Amino acid sequence: MARILITDDAAFMRMQLKDILTKLGHEVVGEAENGHVSVSKYQELRPDLVTMDITMPEMNGIEALKEIKKINSSAKVIMCSAMGQQALVLEAIKEGAKDFVVKPFSPERIQESIEKVL
Amino acid sequence: MKLAINMEKSAQMLLVSATKNAIQNVVPLNLAIDNPRILGQSLDIQYGVLIGMTGDMKGKLVLSGDSDVFGNIGEVMFGMKIGDEMLSSFSGELGNMIAGGLSSQIYENGLKTDITSPTVLSGNTTLSGFQRALHIPATFERAGEMGIYLLLDAFKGMR
Ligand SMILES: [Mg+2]
Repeated sequence: MARILITDDAAFMRMQLKDILTKLGHEVVGEAENGHVSVSKYQELRPDLVTMDITMPEMNGIEALKEIKKINSSAKVIMCSAMGQQALVLEAIKEGAKDFVVKPFSPERIQESIEKVL
Repeated sequence: MKLAINMEKSAQMLLVSATKNAIQNVVPLNLAIDNPRILGQSLDIQYGVLIGMTGDMKGKLVLSGDSDVFGNIGEVMFGMKIGDEMLSSFSGELGNMIAGGLSSQIYENGLKTDITSPTVLSGNTTLSGFQRALHIPATFERAGEMGIYLLLDAFKGMR
């Protein structure tokens, strides 16, 4: 069981992810609606894993990934975005993301990603 | 009317097919698309979602339809009724996923774009000031009709 921080600007998507993760037996310790909030909640909660949307107001997910990596270089972050361009995937991986899930996703895809990363 | 008359046919076809593919990748319902139409000077929206696009294609993607149509699509996608309190958030995310898919599709054709967070429009909204606009009428089997609009301010290769 992992302690997970969910990051997505859409409340609906946070609810979906929370439902999937909880059913998989994980604990959702926090939710963030933009990159800024995600970085400060990461600092505060030190979760085992972060799911990170990319297109968000205030601070996008790539910027938040970089900030979280500054706090903890071994932080485990899975990108979870509607944008799936190869260049963006490569950039996220270069910045230290452990996996990249393109929306829309199935619960099975989330499970596979978490098992790979943890 | 100067709107869209000199937009390259191939560019228009690319955008329409990429939009259609993006929708089909997101919404698991049979989709019928009518011939795209050139839109006039403004667009009136009762309910819908708007996503800004920047980069090689500058403009907006707008999905417009009855809020029930968005609710029906959500119910099919997530296997549960979307409550009133989540409908706006779901509609925004549907727009985000379709715009993200469109952006990813046209990237394959060498067009680099980014998208903004969605803005959900409810109540009377009039959009105007765009250079060219395409209306793609869409019908989702069992969910209803939706207007897909591409409001273009600039497009790489647009004359
Ligand atoms: Mg988002």
